[in-house]
Amino acid sequence: MFESVLIANRGEIAVRVARTCREMGIRSIAVYSTADRDSAVVRIADDAVHIGPAPGRRSYLSPPAIVEAARLAGAEAVHPGYGFLSEDPDFAEICAANDLTFIGPPPDVMARLADKARTRALMAAAGLPILPGTTHAVETPAEARETADRIGLPVIIKAVAGGGGRGVRVVRDAGELTTGYLESRAAAQALFGDSRVYLERFLESARHVEVQVLADTHGGVIHLGERDCSVQRRHQKLIEESPAPGLPDELLDRIRTAAVTGARAAGYVGAGTFEFLVGRENDFHLMEVNCRLQVEHPVTEMVTGVDLVREQILIAAGERMTLRQEDVRLDGVAIECRVNAEDPARDFLPTPGVVTTFLPPGGQFVRVDTHGYAGYRVPPDYDSLLAKVIAWAPDREQAMARMRRALGEFGIEGQGVRTTAPYLRDLIDHPLFRTAKHDTGLIS
Amino acid sequence: MTDELDEACTSVARLLAASPAPVRRLRLQHGDLMVEMEWAETAAPEAAPAAVPRAPESSDAGLAYVSAPMVGVFYRAPKPGEEPFVREGDTVRPGQQVAIIEAMKIMIPVEAEAAGEVVKILAEDGSPVEYGEHLIAVAG
Repeated sequence: MFESVLIANRGEIAVRVARTCREMGIRSIAVYSTADRDSAVVRIADDAVHIGPAPGRRSYLSPPAIVEAARLAGAEAVHPGYGFLSEDPDFAEICAANDLTFIGPPPDVMARLADKARTRALMAAAGLPILPGTTHAVETPAEARETADRIGLPVIIKAVAGGGGRGVRVVRDAGELTTGYLESRAAAQALFGDSRVYLERFLESARHVEVQVLADTHGGVIHLGERDCSVQRRHQKLIEESPAPGLPDELLDRIRTAAVTGARAAGYVGAGTFEFLVGRENDFHLMEVNCRLQVEHPVTEMVTGVDLVREQILIAAGERMTLRQEDVRLDGVAIECRVNAEDPARDFLPTPGVVTTFLPPGGQFVRVDTHGYAGYRVPPDYDSLLAKVIAWAPDREQAMARMRRALGEFGIEGQGVRTTAPYLRDLIDHPLFRTAKHDTGLIS
Repeated sequence: MTDELDEACTSVARLLAASPAPVRRLRLQHGDLMVEMEWAETAAPEAAPAAVPRAPESSDAGLAYVSAPMVGVFYRAPKPGEEPFVREGDTVRPGQQVAIIEAMKIMIPVEAEAAGEVVKILAEDGSPVEYGEHLIAVAG
């Protein structure tokens, strides 16, 4: 087992990882940029290293800065969290070259799954259903038009190097294809440094259902059930829950099995997520595979009782999973709401600033993962996630009531600081969400 | 008379730069010059992570610091065994190379930003340093 782990991330996920390290008796090393000098993880972790100025490319996205910090602090392994370098195969290689264990899949597996178009081909070959579209990058506007003719409109244009719903475009009208294609390429270049895009048939009213898998280095692969992440705004998840409500058990079983099949086919190791779209006819299609811990992992933890970060660390240390598929039970219902420092009244504009009052909710069966505190300055340099509120209950009705109560309790005040908490409460009360008849088009 | 005061201030600045702990009190009398300094306890405050540098004192008037441009290993000389770029007492000019930071086998030159006299080399040759850590104190 590792004696020390460096957490190559910030915000709530850095705090989350530090907590598991503490429980496992592992020395945790936080890294922080100048903007995060006063962040919670600097206090919570055993050590902290100042790695660079605020811009991510010179701090959290800089492999040399992370590797040198690990050397300085004597870390044996690196936990990348989510975002930043978490799905960068080159970074995983650099870690290995510097005798650091990267807590995640092997670099070659990550590289294969980082190409979202190739992933579709790989998973189709393994027998997983995929949506009609291309399994390679679309090179010209003419090819985009031909593809759309073949698979039918609407289509969704996605970055080959993308993920997380960023920079995707839906095209409903043939006349907008060329513009949409060119804009997508420009957005992909700006967001991911790779302009390649691919096309997929767009499912108009689908559910986003993803499966959490764990795979060890001894050939063990299991799933920990699924999460429904259908409540999205501009392809960004707002509310997630486990298990997925309102879908037949037989369908969920098939989706879970497909994820395990896919993980085996990819030679997956670590914690991973297989994202599927479920159509109106209960047809399901693989979208992409995420090679990292997901933001919404707590809902899985709450219904399974499994600490996913602990499993990630044990797997990275080469241990055999003690958890068997038959041991995994989804107990009750967990819902997560992402509370962002954004103003819903101003088109979700981020609202950085000093939080003067910070009173997170608590009480029975409520979990809050946050790095916020009274006096915390929300920096303008990073994403606006401020807290995740997770409510567990034996059934969905009670879980929704608990979430409504928890969001109402959340007291956040600060000069200019607004949050999405009231907006999320309205969503929980939405008739379609309440009856689990919602899909990805709920907010539009 | 003011020369004497200037000299006293420079000496105080050097003492502050070399201070092993934050200075709690500083008294400077001008007539029949007298300098009194009182240091705080050296114990680090609880919950301050070991690797986090203590914030520099704000009373280091007249001192400028050359800080680490990135996290890495600090070297005073171009190669092992060679003469260091600068020694205490040397005068530096803006843009002059005063050290190297090695990060993942890449040598990053460290330059002085301000002109002045090197009063203290704060980091140990060959030691790992954090981003922004004070490496060299320069009295302008």
